[in-house]
Amino acid sequence: MIWQFDFLILALGVICALASISLKDLLSAAIVFGAYSFLMCLLWTEMGAVDVAFTEAAVGAGVSTVFFLAAVFHTSRIVQPRRRGRMLHKLVGLAAATGIGILLISATADFPNWANPNSPASTHLSPFYITETIPLTGVPNIVTSVLADFRGFDTMFETAVIFVAGLAVVSILGRYGRRLRDYEPSPVGEDVAHQSPIIQAACRIFVPFMQLFALYVVAHGHHSPGGGFQGGVILGASFILVAISYDLRVMQRRLQERRAMLFSSLGVLIYSGIGALCLLMGANFLDYSILHTILPATSPIMARSHGMLGVEVGVALTVMSIMVIIYVNVASYGKSDRGL
Amino acid sequence: MDTIFIASGVAVLILMMLTLYRAISGPTAIDRLMAVNVIGTKTTVLLIIIGTVFHWVEMFVDIALAYALLNFIVTIATSRYFQHHKNLCPVGFGLRHRKEETKND
Repeated sequence: MIWQFDFLILALGVICALASISLKDLLSAAIVFGAYSFLMCLLWTEMGAVDVAFTEAAVGAGVSTVFFLAAVFHTSRIVQPRRRGRMLHKLVGLAAATGIGILLISATADFPNWANPNSPASTHLSPFYITETIPLTGVPNIVTSVLADFRGFDTMFETAVIFVAGLAVVSILGRYGRRLRDYEPSPVGEDVAHQSPIIQAACRIFVPFMQLFALYVVAHGHHSPGGGFQGGVILGASFILVAISYDLRVMQRRLQERRAMLFSSLGVLIYSGIGALCLLMGANFLDYSILHTILPATSPIMARSHGMLGVEVGVALTVMSIMVIIYVNVASYGKSDRGL
Repeated sequence: MDTIFIASGVAVLILMMLTLYRAISGPTAIDRLMAVNVIGTKTTVLLIIIGTVFHWVEMFVDIALAYALLNFIVTIATSRYFQHHKNLCPVGFGLRHRKEETKND
């Protein structure tokens, strides 16, 4: 905790948040919202929540603003003027919002103070994780072990939620099932004029490093901040970068939408399959320690570490392909022929 | 030693505040984009400074690297947007002369 940073970052964040909801130009609002996400990442880093900050960094810098831009690209850039509602409606809305706000604020009074050493979280839960993580799982990064092992069931459904989000986008916008050869060739010169050789060359050099870094983040999540979600978002962002700097079709030659859909369900299958495997071998669901009987030369403790790695790979696969699917569908308005 | 890093971090944050002014008031979206890009670069530096103050830089290097790798995607995406939609500022917002120009058209 560094109070000087705290104060300034919070002030900047509040200004950014107010600006991004009050701007009438939606493109600018999306860009300013990107700055807000930078500041949130800084705030979390400064509070020591490095894994959360990493997720915010990957999502905020990589994909979320691009999704907003793509949505603005195909809809309208200006906030539609609000129709004058009846006074009664406004009053009812205001009363409901105020009432719920008062309830929420009064509920926060029941919470223990921030960083109170006598709160239940500080007396029971955190000491257990801090003292027992290395003896039980052999993983130095406590966040990864809590995420993928102690609370693995929650994370499985988080992965499923991301999968369902992708399904929702496809079912609303997409025309799933088109093959690459179904696309009509683009009119000559139309797309080529929009492509810059400088950006393409830079992107061609850059993307392999980005993907290598993403794989490192997935695999090294046990020892440093990172893991499946962050690595998956960076992998997905690398494909989005190819799609933006070249063309959606060039990207689809590397990763077709149909195949991405297959990968996304495969990721959820890997996660739940590892859990089911543990169940079949006689342990609890997602109790990886039983896996030491089939993994060669591992103790039950290392088996938990390896099980987490397998689960993280599943998460990364799902997140990567869902990011690609959302981009393809939103940027091309479901036609998946040409992007931004 | 920590005092130097905290002071430089505060300096970077104050500079960030100045660019934030451009990001919020900037008449066109390009101004805002440039300002947010600068904020992103400063964020990378600030992450490393925070890591140095905590005496644990290797935890924070990965996040800074992720920022450095991903920061420009939004820039490229926005420039793509302006290749298709030419007007920098929607009619009736911000730039007054821009509004007059479209009126003359």
